[in-house]
Formats: sequence, structure tokens, C-alpha cells
Amino acid sequence: MTARATTHSETILSASGIVNRFGRQVVHDKIDLDLKRGEILGIAGGSGSGKSVLLKTLTGLHRPNGGKVVVDGEPIDKIEPAQKAALIGVLFQQGALFSSLSVAQNVMLPLREYTDLAPGEQERITAMKLELAGLSPDSAVKFPSELSGGMVKRAALARAIALDPRILFLDEPTSGLDPLTASGIDALILRLNQSLGITVVVVTHDLTTLFTICGRVAMLADRRITVGTLDKLMHSTQPWIREFLHGPRAEGALTASKRSHGNG
Amino acid sequence: MEEASPASASPAIAIDGEGDRWRISGSLDIRTLAQAEKALAPWLKRRKGRALDVSKLSALDTPGALFLCGLRAQGIELTGIRAEHKALLDLLGGLDLKPLAKPKTVSRGRQLIIDLGKAGDEAWHDTLDIITFVGKAASYTGRALTHLHALRLPSISRQIKETGIDALPIIGLMAVMISIVIGYQSVAQLRPYGGEDFTINLVAVSMLREMGVLITAIMVAGRSGSAFTAEIGVMKVREEIDALNVMGLDPMELLVVPRLIGLVITLPLLTFFADMMGLLGGAMISLSLLDVSPLQYIDRVHHAVDGSDLFVGLFKAPIFGFLIAIIGCMHGLRVSGSAESVGRETTRAVVKAIFVVIVLDALFSILFEKLDL
Repeated sequence: MTARATTHSETILSASGIVNRFGRQVVHDKIDLDLKRGEILGIAGGSGSGKSVLLKTLTGLHRPNGGKVVVDGEPIDKIEPAQKAALIGVLFQQGALFSSLSVAQNVMLPLREYTDLAPGEQERITAMKLELAGLSPDSAVKFPSELSGGMVKRAALARAIALDPRILFLDEPTSGLDPLTASGIDALILRLNQSLGITVVVVTHDLTTLFTICGRVAMLADRRITVGTLDKLMHSTQPWIREFLHGPRAEGALTASKRSHGNG
Repeated sequence: MEEASPASASPAIAIDGEGDRWRISGSLDIRTLAQAEKALAPWLKRRKGRALDVSKLSALDTPGALFLCGLRAQGIELTGIRAEHKALLDLLGGLDLKPLAKPKTVSRGRQLIIDLGKAGDEAWHDTLDIITFVGKAASYTGRALTHLHALRLPSISRQIKETGIDALPIIGLMAVMISIVIGYQSVAQLRPYGGEDFTINLVAVSMLREMGVLITAIMVAGRSGSAFTAEIGVMKVREEIDALNVMGLDPMELLVVPRLIGLVITLPLLTFFADMMGLLGGAMISLSLLDVSPLQYIDRVHHAVDGSDLFVGLFKAPIFGFLIAIIGCMHGLRVSGSAESVGRETTRAVVKAIFVVIVLDALFSILFEKLDL
């Protein structure tokens, strides 16, 4: 897409000098991260390397011990709630769907709170979001407890894009899913990114996700971050990154991604 | 697509035109959609070949595009579509949108009957469950008492500490407060008849026979019964109960029996403590309202109550303790999968335990009256 290519150079979110520590344990030591408009950035790292904390910092849910996060030219903690809702959407790891609301009500909640559209219009928009997320209209009346793991992620994704956010944060979107469903979610993320132009930040362990959809990857290791395209990171000398990208699972995922690229 | 517009402070949309050709300009997104719909409404009513020029749209998001697709479906021609909007319009136009499924609605009268039936069925099953569980728990407890290796003494002592010793301050305070309440009311009611001295009898007898054990049981049901449900329920949610089963360990023996024995031991002791604190409260009332010195008070209490008053109160305590533990553990084991059900079962356990305690207490009052105790 041409629009995508031209907008890639522009920074939409920038984090600089992020320091996070819990007690004496330093998780992030002066991390800098720039997010380009329209890209899909993967954040990877070992368990306990602070991926989720970084996500919480970038979305303003966690105030870092040092450094600042600027989204669209404004510090994240100064952004008005309504503006923030239109700016960022988050898919939480467990979905975080409101258990007392049906799927449709979950997606409609931000619409109801932030717009004065007629109920019929809201329902049409909700149906469209569910369709975009790959859910059938029948699932609209279901409650989160009645959904399978993959459907929870799709419903949560529909809610995350309810207000057409400019940046979509995904926390482990494919964790706990079978490989087929996981590829479905990967394809969905790619489609949302390409057709709606949403900038995506995806925190994941899933090497296949990293290899198939992420343009750039930020690797968290040793309290620091290394950002680059996968090709560049493959040649990194940092021991953890080497091991991560050259382990047996990585080789498998790489072959798989090459094959899928070869096909289409 | 063109959400990538500069962050305009106030989203604005303008619609103008004449005849059949209208033009929409500005940003058509979720914030301006209602405004656009309203502005276009009169024009849409006219039924002729119409065209809408969208070339001046600076921003378009998915709800806006959906709206334009809707117009197109009504036979309105969209002219001057920008390249970056076309992809989005094509995407949404290509979606096969069906209306959302509606939840099935049931008429109110029907719903009432369904609810009644459900409640009746549930009450019946609850009763069966409690009876079954009482039998099961009693048999396991019997086994534990006869086979000493099945008796988990460290576990029991931990339960006694948690349900008994840790509860002393709150139960003592409650007992003093309740006896002060009874004392004040009695003095006020009995004074016109010159019988305020009988306040002491009233406080002492009602504390020993009824209030001491009742307050303690209700407090313990709220404090420990709920804790039993929550502890066992969380273990159930985290599959810890399944893990015990796989290891060949019986949750009844490991989790239920120690709690049961613990509470049967602690509740009478707590009741006795509450009785004493209640009498202490009575002494304070007597001193301040009736000018009866503590020594005189002891003498009066000695005459007012006899052993059977204390016995009647203490007799009920282990029974209440047994039932509170049974209900708490039973609901804990009933928790299914989700975290919400822990909350729901905990509420049910506490409500049921307090209900059972009060109903039984009323039955006991009648029974002891008939037995002349």
C-alpha cells in the first residue's frame, strides 16, 4: 500500500530514557523506543524481562521511574481520557472482556460512552467491528464465559478497535491458542494494519508471529532494548538475542514464514 | 487510509450543495458522524438520482466509511473518492454485514414462573447437597477420629488459631457492645415500673442463653465460613483440588475435616469468651446506670442465672460450628472454573450459614422451652 509506505518515516509514539525498577530490581535501564506510523513492531524478550511492564508504560497504565512517553506529540499522562481512548487501543493478554456484558455490549461500551450516535447506528458499527475481527453476528449475544480462547481474543480485538485507535497494543495475542487459530489472529492483525492503517505494537513470545507479521522487532534483554529488522537482529552479537533467534524453535518458525511468504 | 490526519483539536465537518449534488468536506469520523447524519437527513428524503462529492474529505474512519457504504447501498453515487479512502470503502463494502443477533426475550410473567421454578429446584438440590455433604463429612470425620494418621493435627491447630484466636478481639468487642445495647434498652423500658434492677437478670440471661452464641456464630460465619469457601474455591479454580486427587490425596480428609474439627472446637470456646465479655459489659452498664458495684453485680448475676443458662448457650455452639464449616466447605468445593464463581459461592455460603444458624437457634429456643431447661 502506498499510503503505508509514505507514512512509515513519521514517529507516532516515542519513549525515551525509560527506567523501571521494582524495589532493588531494575527491569528497564534507560530504554529508548520510537514507533513509526503504520508499522507493526514486535516486542520480544524472555520471561520476566519486562515486556508487559514496558507495554503498561507505553500505554500510560504504569508510570515509569524515569523517562517519558510521548504519543502524537503529547506526554501520555497529559492526554485527556477521551482523546486517549481514540488514540490507543489495548488487547490484554486474557482479553479482559467485561464478564457481565455480552460480546456486543463489550464492543459497544466505548461507542456508548464517547459518541452520541443512535442505538441502531451503534449496533451497525458493532456488527462491522465484529466482522472485521472475524466473529459471526451470532456470537454477539454470547457472554465472555461462553467463548473459546480464540473467540475471546477476537472479541477483545473488536473492542480494542471500537473507536478506530491510531495505535493498537497487543499483549500476547496468540498465547494459549492452537497454531491454526494463532495464524488466523496473525492474519487478522496484518489485515487491520494494512487496510485500516493502524500502527500495531505486539508483545509476544510467538516466534512465528515475529517472523511473519512484524516489520521491526524490539528485543528486551539485560534491561536494555535492541530494535531493528529481524534480518539485522539475526546478526546481533548479544548472546541472548542470538540464542533466541537461532534456537531450534526459531529455525522452524523461520522456515514456516519463508514458506508462507513464498506462497503468497 | 487517512486516519493519519493531523490531530485536529475540534473535528469539523461541513455539508453543502444544491439540488442533487451535495458535497461533504472535513473529517468524517466517529465524532462527527451523528452531525453528518443529521445534516444529510433532509436531502436523503428526496428520491432522485443523487450524487455526493467526497473528494474534500480530509479524514475517514471505519464508522464513517460504513456510513458512506450505506449511502451507496441506497443508490447514492459517491464521486471523487480519494485513493486512500477507496481501500477502506472497498474493504467495508465487501463485508457481508448481518444485523447482530438479539438475545431471546421472555415475557415478564413467564420469566417470573421460570425463576420461581428454578429457585424451587435449586432449594431442593441445595437441601439434598447439604444432607449428602453432612453425611460425607461426618463419615470422614469419624474415620479421622478413629484412624489417627488421618487426623491432621498441624492443620487443625492452624484452623483453631485462624478461626479462634484471631477472632477474639472482634468477638469480645461485639459481645460488650451487644450487652450495652440490651442494657440500655432494658433500663429505659423497666424504669417506669421501678424494675430497672432486673436489667441485670435480662442482660445476663439473654447473653448466656442466646446473644453470646448467636453473635459469635454470625461473626464466625462471616469471618471463617467465607474464608473456607474462598480458600477452597481458589484451590478449585487453580486446579489444586484436581492435583490432590491425582496424587491420591482426598480433599475431604485434607481440607474439609481439619476445618470442621477446628471450628467445632473453637466455636464453643469463642462463645464462652463472648459470654464472659457480655457479662463484663453488663457490669459496666450496672455501674454507670444503676450504681451497682462490680461485687454486688457478681452476686446478683449469681442469683439470676444458673448452670442451665450457660449450658443451653454452649450446647448450641458446636452444632453451629459444624454447620458453618460444612456450608463453607461445601460451597468452596462447588466453585466451578471461573473467578466470578468464587465470589458468588462465598456470598451464598455466608448467607446460608447465617440463615441456618438463626433458624436453628429459633428451633432450639422452642425445644428448650418445652424441655423446661
